[in-house]
Amino acid sequence: MAVMKTTRDIKGVGDPIPRADGREKVTGAVQYVADIQPRGLLHAKLLRSPHAHAKIVRIDTSKAKALPGVRAVITAKDMPQLKKKAPTRAHAVLAIDRVVFSGQPVAAVAADELAIAEEALDLIEVEYQVLPVAVDPLKSMQPGAPPVAEAGTEADTSEALAHSAVALTSSETKPAKAVNISQQATVKRGDVAKGFAEADHILEKTYRVPMVHQGYLEPHAVLAQWDTVGNLTLWASTQGSFNTRSEVADVLEIAENRIKVIPVECGGGFGGKIRALCEPITAELARVSGKPVRYVMTRKEELEAGMPAPQVIIKLKTGVKRDGTLLALEADTILDTGAFSGTVLAVSAVFLGSMYKWPAFEIRGMEVLTHKPSVAAYRAPGAPQTIFAIESHMSQIARELGLDPLEFRMRHLIQEGDPMVNNQPWQSNGAKQVLAKVGEHPIWKGRKEWAASGGKDGRGLRGTGFALGGWLGGLQPTSATVRLNPDGSLNVLTGQVDIAGTNISLAQIAASAFGVDFDQVKITTGDTDSAPLTGLSAGSKTIYTVGSAVLQAAQDARRQTFEIAAKEMEASVHDLEIRDNKVVVKGAPDKSVTLASIGKKGNLYMSKVQPVLGTATPAFSQQAPGFAAQIARVEVDPDTGETTLHDFVVIQDVGKAINPLGVEGQMQGGAVQSLGIAMTEGLMFDDSGRLMNPSLLDYRKLTAADLPNIETIIVEVPSPSGPFGARGVGEPPIVPAPAAIANAVEDAAGVRITELPVTPERIALARAAKGNAS
Amino acid sequence: MRRFDLALPESLEDCLKTLAGKPAGAKLLAGGTDLLPQMKNGLLKPAWVVDLSRVAELHKLAVEGDELHIGAAVTARALELDPRVAGRYASIAESGALVGSVQVRNLASVGGNLCNAAPSADMAPPLIALDALAVIAGPNGRRRVLLAEFFTGVRRTVLGADELLVELVVPDPGARSGGNYLRHTPRRELDIAVVGVASQLTLGADGRCAKARIALAAVAPTPVRATAAEQALQGQTVTPELIERAAGLAVEAAKPIADQRGSVEFRRHLTRVLTRRTLTTALARAGALARASA
Amino acid sequence: MKKQVLSCTVNDEAVEVLVRPYTTLLDALREDLGLTGPKEGCGTGDCGACTVHLDGKPVASCLMLAMQARGRSVRTIEGLAKTGQLHPLQDAFVRHGVPQCGFCIPGVLMAAAAVLAENPKATEQEIRYGIAGNLCRCTGYTKMLTAITEVAGASARGEG
Repeated sequence: MAVMKTTRDIKGVGDPIPRADGREKVTGAVQYVADIQPRGLLHAKLLRSPHAHAKIVRIDTSKAKALPGVRAVITAKDMPQLKKKAPTRAHAVLAIDRVVFSGQPVAAVAADELAIAEEALDLIEVEYQVLPVAVDPLKSMQPGAPPVAEAGTEADTSEALAHSAVALTSSETKPAKAVNISQQATVKRGDVAKGFAEADHILEKTYRVPMVHQGYLEPHAVLAQWDTVGNLTLWASTQGSFNTRSEVADVLEIAENRIKVIPVECGGGFGGKIRALCEPITAELARVSGKPVRYVMTRKEELEAGMPAPQVIIKLKTGVKRDGTLLALEADTILDTGAFSGTVLAVSAVFLGSMYKWPAFEIRGMEVLTHKPSVAAYRAPGAPQTIFAIESHMSQIARELGLDPLEFRMRHLIQEGDPMVNNQPWQSNGAKQVLAKVGEHPIWKGRKEWAASGGKDGRGLRGTGFALGGWLGGLQPTSATVRLNPDGSLNVLTGQVDIAGTNISLAQIAASAFGVDFDQVKITTGDTDSAPLTGLSAGSKTIYTVGSAVLQAAQDARRQTFEIAAKEMEASVHDLEIRDNKVVVKGAPDKSVTLASIGKKGNLYMSKVQPVLGTATPAFSQQAPGFAAQIARVEVDPDTGETTLHDFVVIQDVGKAINPLGVEGQMQGGAVQSLGIAMTEGLMFDDSGRLMNPSLLDYRKLTAADLPNIETIIVEVPSPSGPFGARGVGEPPIVPAPAAIANAVEDAAGVRITELPVTPERIALARAAKGNAS
Repeated sequence: MRRFDLALPESLEDCLKTLAGKPAGAKLLAGGTDLLPQMKNGLLKPAWVVDLSRVAELHKLAVEGDELHIGAAVTARALELDPRVAGRYASIAESGALVGSVQVRNLASVGGNLCNAAPSADMAPPLIALDALAVIAGPNGRRRVLLAEFFTGVRRTVLGADELLVELVVPDPGARSGGNYLRHTPRRELDIAVVGVASQLTLGADGRCAKARIALAAVAPTPVRATAAEQALQGQTVTPELIERAAGLAVEAAKPIADQRGSVEFRRHLTRVLTRRTLTTALARAGALARASA
Repeated sequence: MKKQVLSCTVNDEAVEVLVRPYTTLLDALREDLGLTGPKEGCGTGDCGACTVHLDGKPVASCLMLAMQARGRSVRTIEGLAKTGQLHPLQDAFVRHGVPQCGFCIPGVLMAAAAVLAENPKATEQEIRYGIAGNLCRCTGYTKMLTAITEVAGASARGEG
């Protein structure tokens, strides 16, 4: 029999407990949307435009409808609620009379078999009148560029606020100007001209990051079914069932409470499964055919017509004194958002100007529409690209002035209370502590020896680099309930989609807050009918917000439990504690009542005792920024540019590691996504707006053979506002690697790559251009 | 994939009869690692597919006299691991080992790789550099074609619609022969060659180069031999300087295009680097094998 | 297009099922046999999520037609261990907190099991290359390597 535990010894916050669904996942028992196979299931396929910009002259679906096994064929004509000026990508369910990106859906089919649906697509005749395209954002932003949106498109910043609660105030935001510029904002402080005039050293570089795909292994998938009285059920792979419900209701113009979204196990999202994409059309096919319809995107469709991260171009100019004193920073950031507005413009400004104490800055940001698939969030949206620019720049400044790059940063690093670019003060953060750990690490300390060992005895060129990045942490109101069962166990209900393994942490939080062992707690993710309103599983805010809600609900349940016990034992609530599943009077251990008895009384016929139901519905105003630094040790083949990553370290401030096992997994996974952006990934479009690499053969994600084991160092600088001091964990680790790699490659091979990914080709050709033989 | 009918022949004869009976064309299926992706992308929509998995003769791997026989359906993985495909034939194993991933190599066939005839076909250069012959079966019997002459264009070969590749016959280059295949890829696995080079050097008793073969992938519509580079090495004592000269001549044989995998400049640069490296390794292996057999 | 009879062994049991000729082995396993462990992540052999064993060898089941498995033996994640038990690799994955979204896990485990079956004392480098055909977007692979290497080491020491 297990030893009885005191509240101090309970297994809860801080323990590396494997997640509860681990066993189901390793046996293949967990079900994803594509695994659900109801009777009578129909399979959906979408016909997509091959052209990036074209008028639709004519669509003839008659031959497709006549193919045996086809149960529904839909075009925009069949959906009168669709608007010509689609306010968001989700509203552009099927193109009405114009397509604005290659891959845009034009017709939809539901058939008995997937193969029949594919053949039906072949039979749909579409006549297009091809129009001029705007693909390159630098060209698209010029006057006279082919227009992307219908006139009057407004910037869409609603999702942005959930990710990163930093908005630029209305006085700083200007209305959209030229044809394809959909958002524009400038922040400034001080006199940059004066700063540059006084500078000893000026560095001006342009950094480019292509569109990248979130890369989740499970493609978008949804199963839709209507009942006979007009209620829709959606089994969806989504990061936010309530958001999905709202968007689908809005697009299809039906009431939200007529839709039930069941969040099925999600095979990765990373921001790409927040906005509705496939749900409206699948629901419509189900309505028209009267059968359950399932739509699973192919990998080709995901790459061609998903919702990737924006292409980013940053022109950065800095002025500093010879001794490294910062004087002025000026930047132009261009975010290529594809065919619909949706980038988080403010993030770029914050990370360019707020990491270090620039006395004068002017940062101009612009979102540009192009004839490409529109974007959505990707894990710390805007931050990897922006940090690539500023952290590449800082290392170059240090190198050119002969300064130590770590000491240079440390000297100018922001602290709590310093103003960000929008004059909001920095919250408490661990940036300094994280940076300090870089200096202590043997890989950083041994960088000279590593470099000296390279370039001889058949070895490549060796170098080391690092970068600092972070994420401010998103905010969103949310709710949770905690219920005491008749046997003394607890049920916690949220609508939170458990992608990152946060459910186990929520159980640990509830257990620690209420006063029982974590294995007394069951966490349930409810659907939109049964769960209380819950926010997105995104923005690194799940533990921060939902964890807080669970904490508060558990505390509420504990309070209610004490009130009942106090009445029974004629004691004061202040004298009570919970130990070994009993409510005990402190100092009088034989005066106790079991949790089970309290729970039973709340469910007993004729009982006057209320059931214990703790609730919490918090909203949040304070963020808890999380910083991460990454160190890369590389070896570069001097002739082919092939780069081997020997070691990679992630140092991250998580405030409080509720579950260290889960936290490490987030740090390692985010780091490898960051390395993908750094070294191999990018969506490549040709001049006509077609994707040149629509497969995983040519859209390269890193494999186990390309990587070393990722070393993780957890730093804990508690946040005053997070549950048990926790900060958001998921996003900071995707931020620093591109700059760390570019810095390491410069150290090793003597070339500065300012365009991602840092490929062997770019390195080899840069070296050849430089005429370098070392 | 769209719907199609599937034939399941049990012998080579069966297979040829089936092909002859499908004048509209049928697609031959061995490992499926090139065919299925193309069918899923709608690039190919055959009405008939013919499965070769039970045609025993195509799966044979054997040394017969002074020839190595590789059946068309032999997998890349088999070539990677088989001890007979080593030593002087090492470059064949090297190219097999580089295809896709282990899950793909256990399916991918050498015949499929060659008949798909992508310019980047990894298994072509080493076999060309070893003067392999393609044995083709058709309604009128069999014929042999030098592999270097098997390819006629991008995804085009000399095969007729009623023919199939049965096996590769690789003549023994002798004890003093060494080869190497290298390719450049952005990732270590699951990738496709930006440039691939196979070199095979056979030394004479006097230590000079008796025969040189250099075959390039992904730098022309078909795999090509760098004949000027080969001739520069023929009959000479192979030195680093001569290797460098040959590498430069190999670049002239390359006519790469720019695509999503690489620019023209980078491909030319890689051709030089990989030719230099494979010649250096081939020379070292030839010398080592010569000494081992002496 | 008439259906064809697929007779083979799946997870140690003889199976006979009617399949459409154009069905892949992956789809036949998932939809005709209800074994939804193997997943489709790309359909073109570039991600490894569909990895199963064919006569003991790891293959991309999305690239095979179901009928190509006739007369052969197939093993999916559901058959890696006996019902109710966990294979040492599965157990190690749970203890090390490997699965996050879980989608890649069945494929990775089948690839890892194949590596260790062929080479019980595989080194970390050999294991790395053995699962290099399996893409994972959540974990960064590190905990997978740790778990698989631990099992290989245990088998080298004669344990587990």
